[in-house]
Amino acid sequence: MIKNILTHTGGIALYGIVSICLFFAVFAAAVLWTLAQRASHVRHMGELPLNDGEIRPFSPSVSKTHE
Amino acid sequence: MNQDTFRYDNRIVRAFAIATVIWGLIGFLAGLLIACQLFLPELNLNLQYTTFGRLRPLHTNAVIFAFVGNGLFMGIYYSLQRLCKARMFSDGLGWFHFWGWQAIIVAAAVTLPLGLTSSKEYAELEWPIDIAIAVVWVAFTVNLMGTIVKRREKHLYVAIWFYIATAVTVALLHIGNSLAVPAGLFKSYSIYAGVQDALVQWWYGHNAVAFFLTTPYLGLMYYFLPKAAQRPVFSYRLSIIHFWGLIFIYIWAGPHHLLYTALPDWAQSLGMVFSVMLVAPSWGGMLNGLLTLRGAWDRVRQDPMLKFMVVALTAYGMATLEGPLLAIKSVNALSHYTDWTIAHVHTGALGWNGFFTFSMLYWLFPRLYRTELYSVKLANWHFWVALLGMMFYAVPMYWSGITQGLMWKQFTADGFLQYPNFLETVLQLFPMYRLRAIGGTLYIIGAFIMAYNLWKTAQAGSFEAESEVVVPAKISSQAETGTPGKFAWGHRWLEARPLTMTVLAFVAVLVGGLVEIVPMYLVKENVPTITGVRPYTPLEVMGRDLYIREGCVGCHSQMVRPFRSETERYGEYSKAGEFVYDHPFLWGSKRTGPDLHRIGGKYPDAWHFNHMDNPRSTSPGSMMPRYSWLLDQKIDMAAVGPRIAALRSVGVPYPAGYETQAMVDLKQQASVIVTGLKTARIETQPDREIIALIAYLQRLGTDIKASNPIAPATVSLQP
Repeated sequence: MIKNILTHTGGIALYGIVSICLFFAVFAAAVLWTLAQRASHVRHMGELPLNDGEIRPFSPSVSKTHE
Repeated sequence: MNQDTFRYDNRIVRAFAIATVIWGLIGFLAGLLIACQLFLPELNLNLQYTTFGRLRPLHTNAVIFAFVGNGLFMGIYYSLQRLCKARMFSDGLGWFHFWGWQAIIVAAAVTLPLGLTSSKEYAELEWPIDIAIAVVWVAFTVNLMGTIVKRREKHLYVAIWFYIATAVTVALLHIGNSLAVPAGLFKSYSIYAGVQDALVQWWYGHNAVAFFLTTPYLGLMYYFLPKAAQRPVFSYRLSIIHFWGLIFIYIWAGPHHLLYTALPDWAQSLGMVFSVMLVAPSWGGMLNGLLTLRGAWDRVRQDPMLKFMVVALTAYGMATLEGPLLAIKSVNALSHYTDWTIAHVHTGALGWNGFFTFSMLYWLFPRLYRTELYSVKLANWHFWVALLGMMFYAVPMYWSGITQGLMWKQFTADGFLQYPNFLETVLQLFPMYRLRAIGGTLYIIGAFIMAYNLWKTAQAGSFEAESEVVVPAKISSQAETGTPGKFAWGHRWLEARPLTMTVLAFVAVLVGGLVEIVPMYLVKENVPTITGVRPYTPLEVMGRDLYIREGCVGCHSQMVRPFRSETERYGEYSKAGEFVYDHPFLWGSKRTGPDLHRIGGKYPDAWHFNHMDNPRSTSPGSMMPRYSWLLDQKIDMAAVGPRIAALRSVGVPYPAGYETQAMVDLKQQASVIVTGLKTARIETQPDREIIALIAYLQRLGTDIKASNPIAPATVSLQP
């Protein structure tokens, strides 16, 4: 059955090759993009979770909000 | 500098947090119950609503979608606001999301014990609930994207990319796998059949693990771990490669759930290769997490939250090394259908998702309630009890899986199966099942300790419904130096463009799906027609639906693999062409009981009648629940016509207008079975459910047997 599929379906062997090539293209692009990052930007991005903004003690009377 | 003042919404975070704890406890308890049912069948309670087959999907849905689902929403609603420096896009959408999700969970908790199931693993819910899931998920996605659009921080932190990938991919998977034609309010038939259905299901099933249990939690890891460690992630560059590598590779690996089945060999190999490659990004992420703690290990000793986080990451690393190992065909030949899979899954579920969720809860509650954790000592107790519980769970399951796998394959020196009676291999596992139940109990005790600790924390503090925050009006890239625009083509450019990022992530996951799905249609054109394969008779359709209702697929496979050990035990190995009318496929993924694909004609009807009434009357020591209600309950005759029509609309070649003839054929076939049972001194009526189930079981796997006599009632269905 499997032999039959491989023999009678055009281009099926290509899927494996195409998939691996696609993966390496994506992987290479990600690596190149990453290397192109400036160090200051990388540092800034890495520190984002550590900065929630200046949290004030909540007071319901404060009306200044942009939300 | 202009400043913006606004408020983070903590109410929605608290709501999801409470739901996480409650559903977690319920899901764990359901798991413990079904674990105990395996060595104590009496715990099935002789009720049709509480059998292992019906409660197993309840457990999996509860822990995946209720516990982890609420956990990931809790973490996302908390972290997204802070990473975007903006309140959620819409409070209303958030609450619609929250209550909609809880309503879906309740609907699952009601319908699954009632036997209303599609039978597709982790996608068991029937079509009205599927539609509700899609609507609620869209609400979540709109809220997510809306928040990102109105953010004050120019660049998207890596955690947000994981959230985006989760949102778009889960939508794609859910819709793709749930396509079905309704045959009633809570009954539908998958539009796919046999091999195609199996491929789509495991494209979904595998990637549900990837994009529901993994990517959102990795995003949360990239937020909460630096928070807890009070230092940036070890390598932000590595996190970028981790993201793109992971989402691109994961989607291809689904076929590793179908190794040695009737799926074409090249597709199996493709799934295997990508599964092995998956080790790289997975371990990249794990190491990135663990290395973030460089120089902070002293804090791990003191902070229970970090302890849970470290074990979660370690479990993630173990599970993502073991997964690719299990995807290697020669390993899978031993492990598949055994408890090894259960051990693997629970390393991820208990360790990665469970411990990570506990970690987030311990971190969030004191902050939401502006107080200290009620008891660090209790949290430490929770940690050690749960860790011990995990060990008691995983080790016996590995032992059990390898034991049974080897016993199935063991031949005597004369070339006969050493253990020809399947039950013999099951009875060996009971001690391991008891140990596993001890592990589960310990884990649950730990979770109750946590619930108490969090409750007391909440009582001691005062809830901060909203956190007022001040940020620079446009944060953009002020923290950066250098000329904007240099390297503008780089990833930095992409990080400022959420829509482009979303489209690229979508394409990355779509490519893998397409390369699997396109050949699926090619396979459809090339599955060799087997002359003897014909549609199920109306009585067999009703019997098959009972098989689905009772969740038989949870314990019995219908896929004889091409191994001598299996063909000796069960008969001819399964062919793709035999399943062309199977909407849905019922190949299964676990053999708690034996494979049933060649069960047809193996035993007389009377054996099945007695076995379903009391399995231990025919198979002493069997753990299977009793199904005595099948002997009393009547077949839903009103459903026959709509079901035939629905099956025709998904491609089963019933002649036009066959619905009328169907009832005649059904009664004729039923009366033949009843007459046969009388010769074995069994009195029953032709309209009982047991008759339909017997008809289906006796049909299974018989189409390719040359000597198979065709029942008179099925003549009209000859191809």
